[in-house]
Order: sequence, then C-alpha cells, then structure tokens
Amino acid sequence: MIGLRKSIFAMLAPGLGLIAVFILVPIALTVWLAFTKWSVQTPFSSATFIGLDNFREIFGSTSVGRDFKGAMINTALYSVLSIVLILPLSVVFGMLIHQAELKGANLLRTILFATYMVPMIAVALVFSKLYSPTEGPFNQILSWVGIGPQPWLSSPDTALVSIVLLNVWQQVGYFTILIIAGLTQIPTSIYEAARMDGARGPALFGYMTLPLLRRTLLFSAVIALINAVQVFEPVALITQGGPVGSTNVMTYHIRRVGIERAQGGLGSAMSVTLLLALVITVTAVFAFARREDRR
Amino acid sequence: MNAQGRLPATGAGATGWRAFLYLLMIAIAVASAFPLVWMVLSSLKTPAEAMQTPPVWIPQTPSLDSYQKVADLISVGRSFMNSAVIAGITTAGILLTSLMAGFAFAKYRFRYREALFAITIATMFLPPIVTLIPLYRLVGSIGLNASLAGVIIPNLANAFGIFLMRQFIAGVPDELLEAARLDGASEFRILFRIVAPAVAPALAALALFAFVYHWNSYLWPLTVLQGNADNYPIVISLSRLLSYNRSAVNTGLVMAGATLAVLPPLILFVFLQRFFVRTITASGMTGQ
Repeated sequence: MIGLRKSIFAMLAPGLGLIAVFILVPIALTVWLAFTKWSVQTPFSSATFIGLDNFREIFGSTSVGRDFKGAMINTALYSVLSIVLILPLSVVFGMLIHQAELKGANLLRTILFATYMVPMIAVALVFSKLYSPTEGPFNQILSWVGIGPQPWLSSPDTALVSIVLLNVWQQVGYFTILIIAGLTQIPTSIYEAARMDGARGPALFGYMTLPLLRRTLLFSAVIALINAVQVFEPVALITQGGPVGSTNVMTYHIRRVGIERAQGGLGSAMSVTLLLALVITVTAVFAFARREDRR
Repeated sequence: MNAQGRLPATGAGATGWRAFLYLLMIAIAVASAFPLVWMVLSSLKTPAEAMQTPPVWIPQTPSLDSYQKVADLISVGRSFMNSAVIAGITTAGILLTSLMAGFAFAKYRFRYREALFAITIATMFLPPIVTLIPLYRLVGSIGLNASLAGVIIPNLANAFGIFLMRQFIAGVPDELLEAARLDGASEFRILFRIVAPAVAPALAALALFAFVYHWNSYLWPLTVLQGNADNYPIVISLSRLLSYNRSAVNTGLVMAGATLAVLPPLILFVFLQRFFVRTITASGMTGQ
C-alpha cells in the first residue's frame, strides 16, 4: 500500500503543484499586496503595509476612484449585456440545430463554433474595420435598410455596445454547444408525454424545455460572466479604454494601473475587489437558483 | 424524435414554418461567417480598393501584396515558431498533468480528495487578471521574464483539464485496472497503456482546446514578454500592424495579418472539432 500512496502523490504532484504555485500562491499574494504600497518593479519584500488605504483610494472621489468605479460599472454593463444577448441567442440556435431536424444543421453548428477558435486579436482587428464609419460594411448594410450611419467605436454612447457585439459574435457558438449538450440530456420520453397531454409550441418550450435547461443556463451564465470580465484585446488594441473612458474595463484598467504604472498594491486592491464582486454575484445567483428549485 | 414541439402539427402552416426555419438558419450562418469572409476578401484588396466608399466587397484584382507587406513588417516565420512552441509545449504539459491528476481523482481513494478537488475546480472560475500582478513579479523573480519559458511554465496545468480527465477516466471500468494490477503493471503503466487510450477522444478534445487557447492567448504573453519582440507569438506581433490600422489604405495589410493568425487554429479545429463537440456533450460540464 505504501507503493500505491507514492503513486497517488506522484500523480497529483505535478498538476496540483503547478496550480498551487502559479494560481493559489498568487491569489494569496494579491490579497496581501492589496493592503500594501508596492511597486511591481521591486521585490515583494519591499511592500509596506498601509492598511485599507488602497481601498479608500479606489472607492474615493479622486481620479483613481473615479476611474476604478467607472471600470467596475463598464465591466458590469458589458457582462450583463453579453449575457442577455448570448443566452437567448444560444438557446434559439441550439434548438434550431438540435430539435428542428433541418438539413445542414451540423454545418451551421460548425460555422458557429468556428468563430470561437478565432484569436480575439483578429476579431478585434476585423471588427475595427467592419465598424469603420465610412469604409466599413456595417454602415453600408444599415444604409440599405434605411438606417443612418452609426459611430460604433468612435462614440462614448456606442463603443461599449460595439465591443459587446463582437464578443457575442465570437462566443455565441460555444454557448450554443453548451445548450445543445443540455438539450441532449433531456429524455425524449418527457416530450412525448407532454405532447400526449396536449402541450404544443410555446407551452412546451416554456413549461418543459426551459425548466429542464435551467442548470445548463445557470452554468452558461456563470461562464459567460467569467469570460466577459476577461475582455481585454479589443480595448487594449482599438479603444484604449476610450472614448472618454466608456470602454475602460476591469482587466484593462487593472493591468494599466498594476503593471504599466507599476502601482502593484493599488492594482491588487482592484483585483481583490473584482474577485469579491464575482464571488458575491455567483453565490447570489446560485442561492437564488436553489431557492427557485425548492419552490 | 419529431422536432420536439417546435412545429405546428401538419399542413400548410408547417411548411411555411419549416421554410422560415431554413431561412433563419441561413441568416445565422451568413452572419456568423461574414466577418471572416470579409477579412479574407479584404486581405486581397489593393490599397486603392480598400479606400473606396461605399466599400467594395469583392476585390476586382485580387493581389497577395498585403501578405508580402506583412512579412516585411513583422517576422512572420519567427512569430509562428514562437506560437507553435508556446501552444505546443503548453498543450503537452496540460495533457500530461491533467491525465495524471484526473486519474488520481477518479480512481484512488485518499484523504482530502474531495477538498483538493473542490479547490482545484474553484480555480477554473478565476479570471486571470486577479493573479496577473503578483504572477508577473513571481515569474520575474525566478528569472523567467521576457522568455518563452515564462510564458509556458505557469500554464502547464489547469483545472479544466483535470476536471475533464477525471470525468472521463471515472468511466473506465475498474476491472480493467485490477486485471492489469494482477499482471504486475505499475500504476503509471496502467495510466499510459490502459487509461489513456480509453479516453483518447477526450484527450484529443483537450488538446484542441488547450492548443487553440494558448495559440490565441494575448494578455499573459504580452505582460511577461515585456517588449522582447524576438519571443513574440503571432497574436502579439500582429498588434504591431495596429499603427497601420488608423488609415483605410492599410486595411488589406491588417486583414492579411489577421488571416495568417486565424488559419492555424481554424485548420486544427476542422480536424478535431468532432471530438470537441462530443466531449463537451458527454462531460457533464454543463451542470446537468
């Protein structure tokens, strides 16, 4: 049995060791550094404890606080918009592919999913051209249906939504696959029984499909949220957080403060705040879902 | 399985509805493919064509000049090599560490197993930005800044891979393992000779996922490479074309660069996608 215990340790050590060193230790460091003044260019030992000062600053009324709160709001907005667009679309696409028995459904699935393989940098570059107010095809297409030219990425009112749209385009195929996976788990017999009872169309969808997809939708929403928080390339490459801070999102902002401006302590306080916000949101969503389950 | 309730039962209504569904399907496919098709078409445009308003969609005199210009501006070969090294080694590492840890979690009983697994899974939901700042310093303090090793080593294991492997290895019958043990096979031999082949489709899916993810990865290499252009993967080299992005004259150039970066993951996807779809469906990772 000693040999077996050695084997267990040997099997776990590489994977869990790497995760411990490169994820768990950095989480602990982030939490500690959040309470310190520390330049990212200097060793960890140079960090000096300053209590809650970093948090006071990022929630304060100076420009640091304003920028951070702006980034929080932009990220929340970006995440909510992404989720409310991606989930319904992926349900429609998933049902179209999985349940409508159309010829070419698998081809559609492949095309949709292929966009998920495209590097975000390429997506950002291509969409920056598609969105171009004068030479871009989007405004041209809008003009065919009588809609005037949109400013897309160049106006503070539309820039964030424009980035949401390119994110939706890239990710919806992945979530469609998740929904299809959820649909395949629903036993056909349940549908047959429901139809026997006279359920049709919208009723069948509302009372059978959606409730049975609940767990899949919940999981998808959490993944979509985590993905949305990571938006970086389109902002870093195209908008640099602008115009007037309208696309300044958390990943971009934290990196700019913590790495580029080397304010490691301040950036870490922002990271900790982001992590707490995520943990609270996800916990609340699951708690809500569990309460609904009991009803 | 008859269309599970989406269709009216019979008659003319049903035909009209099906026609509508087909139109919808075509519209979705076109919308989905359009940006990539436009990217490739634009990469073949001449600067004069790229300037035209309203835009020309199909280049009249397709030319590969833009690709030549990309090659003049960035070292395409070297960048591809860096990308291949980063994505290749990282993927190999992930396959190995995931297979081993997934096997341990699936087939051994040991103290703290559930707790260790829960902690591992929790890291799956962690946005990388949360650990970016200390990780950057940590990797620097072990002397790996600006190197490919610094890009690769922190990513050699991840929770998703371990989770996926545990799910699939759990389905390998214990009798197979016991029989091999009676024959005197070591645990590692059992893992690589019996378990790994049994979960080969899931391994293929994980390989595709890991390779594409790390080929496309931008934030970490950008941060750790600190302007050392010799080690830039293609996605970061591409950002150098960005200074040409402001003017429409250079649309062809930028789109040619984007096309080059998109090709390897898409080609890999075409070959491996069937494993990927099947694996997501069977993994139970959708909360079912």
